[in-house]
Amino acid sequence: MTLIHESIQHDRGAKMIARDVSVYYGSKKAIDDVSIDISPDYVTAFIGPSGCGKSTFLRCFNRMNDTIPAAKVTGQIELEGEDIHGNAMDVVQLRARVGMVFQKPNPFPKSIYDNIAYGPKIHGLGEKKADLDVIVERSLTRAGLWEEVKDRLDDSGTALSGGQQQRLCIARAIAVDPEVILMDEPASALDPIATAKIEELIDELSGRYAIVIVTHSMQQAARVSQRTAFFHLGKMVEYGPTSDIFTNPIEERTKDYITGRYG
Amino acid sequence: MNNSASPTAPATGKRPASGHGHRPTRTPEFERRLARRYRAERNFKRMGQAAIVFSIAVLVFLLGNMLINGIGGFQRAELSVEIDFRESGLTGDETSLTAPSSAKVLELQGLPEIVDRYAQRSLGAAGAEQLSADAWRDIAAALADDPGLIFGRETFELAASSDLAAGLADEGSPEMQALADRLQGEGVLSNNWDLGFLSRSDATSPQQVGIWGALKGSLLTMAITLALAFPIGVLSALYLEEYAPKNRWTDLIEVSINNLAAVPSIIFGLLGLAVFLSIFPNYRSAPLIGGLTLALMTMPVIVISGRNAIKAVPPSIRDGALAVGASPIQVVFHHVLPLALPGILTGTIIGMARALGETAPLLMIGMRAFVATPPDGFTSPATVLPVQIFLWSDEIDRGFVERTSAAIIILLLFLLAMNGLAIYLRNKFEKTW
Repeated sequence: MTLIHESIQHDRGAKMIARDVSVYYGSKKAIDDVSIDISPDYVTAFIGPSGCGKSTFLRCFNRMNDTIPAAKVTGQIELEGEDIHGNAMDVVQLRARVGMVFQKPNPFPKSIYDNIAYGPKIHGLGEKKADLDVIVERSLTRAGLWEEVKDRLDDSGTALSGGQQQRLCIARAIAVDPEVILMDEPASALDPIATAKIEELIDELSGRYAIVIVTHSMQQAARVSQRTAFFHLGKMVEYGPTSDIFTNPIEERTKDYITGRYG
Repeated sequence: MNNSASPTAPATGKRPASGHGHRPTRTPEFERRLARRYRAERNFKRMGQAAIVFSIAVLVFLLGNMLINGIGGFQRAELSVEIDFRESGLTGDETSLTAPSSAKVLELQGLPEIVDRYAQRSLGAAGAEQLSADAWRDIAAALADDPGLIFGRETFELAASSDLAAGLADEGSPEMQALADRLQGEGVLSNNWDLGFLSRSDATSPQQVGIWGALKGSLLTMAITLALAFPIGVLSALYLEEYAPKNRWTDLIEVSINNLAAVPSIIFGLLGLAVFLSIFPNYRSAPLIGGLTLALMTMPVIVISGRNAIKAVPPSIRDGALAVGASPIQVVFHHVLPLALPGILTGTIIGMARALGETAPLLMIGMRAFVATPPDGFTSPATVLPVQIFLWSDEIDRGFVERTSAAIIILLLFLLAMNGLAIYLRNKFEKTW
């Protein structure tokens, strides 16, 4: 059913694995038996037409689907060999290890500083103000926002421009030092220049964090990712190195989507 | 499509109608319809303006009427009586006059008779009769405030009887009007600002009444109401919005709360009578019972406004907090509640303002008693502003009409202050996202 390119089967041990994952919204099956390995070394992109379930699948990795009462997730998802639904892992702990950036920038209506410091504070990562200061500066620097906001850390995060807000959200996610960052169409609400900055940032962050990005822009997937999974109607159709998927797709549906026949 | 002009055709559309048929937006019928649309819009605007003008006119009439009557309510007819303490035979010094029992001591020393004697001297026999029998208490209080007065001569403004007050207002019996005219001519009878109205309590004579007892009763009652309704209402709203599963039971609870908000207030009074007064039978007419009853009435209002405010917090904020690993309770207390607070506070204050103006349920639980002293605490007998207004409006004595208006002004000022506070809090805590 899913076509997995042979070349990626030699990838280094997976950071997260999903086995036979299905998601139901009530009686509707939104994701149908998907299995995938998320590499720690590469950016993995989920592409596919609207409504194919790629965002739903992404939200399984940090159990954000728990917040939707009608959603039911079956199958096995592991983070470094630990079942994320198991008793050994708490959902709060999971989300501290698997961060998420959303489609629409959603900074808290607090100061820029508090936006970043919030996560470390609730997890007790910075006991003293000085520790937090370090985390805030490091996170903002990694998100490429430090130079732009270092003089106005007390301004509201919502006063920034859309692109800056999204980078603030990325900084907020990396402030708790996660192992995986999930990005749900992080640039779809942004203009081309802000989009380019985000893509650049994803490039810089890859390697340090395992990154999974959902996008409906094939060009974006081609630019930022090294692994691409193509989703269609709740199924993962094809998964392989990005270059292969875009230049040499095997499945007919993938080829049709890549060439713009539908989507 | 018969009107599919090519995209490059000039927009002015001066082309003759071709075989493709007429253009529906260029016909006289269309223009007539357009004119009708604009006319309808103008009419709607005018009707709206008329409604606003009408409401403002009613409001101005109401407030104007209250103010004109109420100004009289803050005044009272007073008689000037000059007393020379040096020849009155009263004795006393600083310690005895400021002692709690000084009024009693002065009464034993014959202060009432002394006041009557000086009143006859200042006002004549007929005038002195119109001095209230308790006028000496005011003088005793003045002496307690300033013991030095006892070594000198002092003119006191003492409340006239309500008959004489009516006479001064050119009402009542002809004899009283004549007497009032004479005393006014002598400069010993006049309408003075009565600041004591704000510090006294209910009395039998409109000349002696004050609003403080009722005001304090209202404050104590509101304190109980707020202390109960706010936490219970906010916690209910938070639980229902953030935690409760959406099923038939929570639907039922939601419908019940909405119905509770629509229940006539007198029903809550019956409930208070049946439940609270059977638990605390000795606290009839106490602020405690009144507050409990009004809390029942205010709580659904707080729950409904609270739920709406919580609903208005964008889900993206919740997602953002959850995604950095906040637990549900941290999401609620760090993010949802602070953002919903302006709405919750506004709803609370509107609910409290409604409770402040409520009369019917309090009548049911016996808060309509004649209470001549301000309540000492939550369990002593009290009355509240709207009930006080209701009671005074029932009085026959003409002097109560103005006092009633004055009490209404106090109540309205109180309400205005609460609404002002609501607006201030909303603006202070409101955040944009």
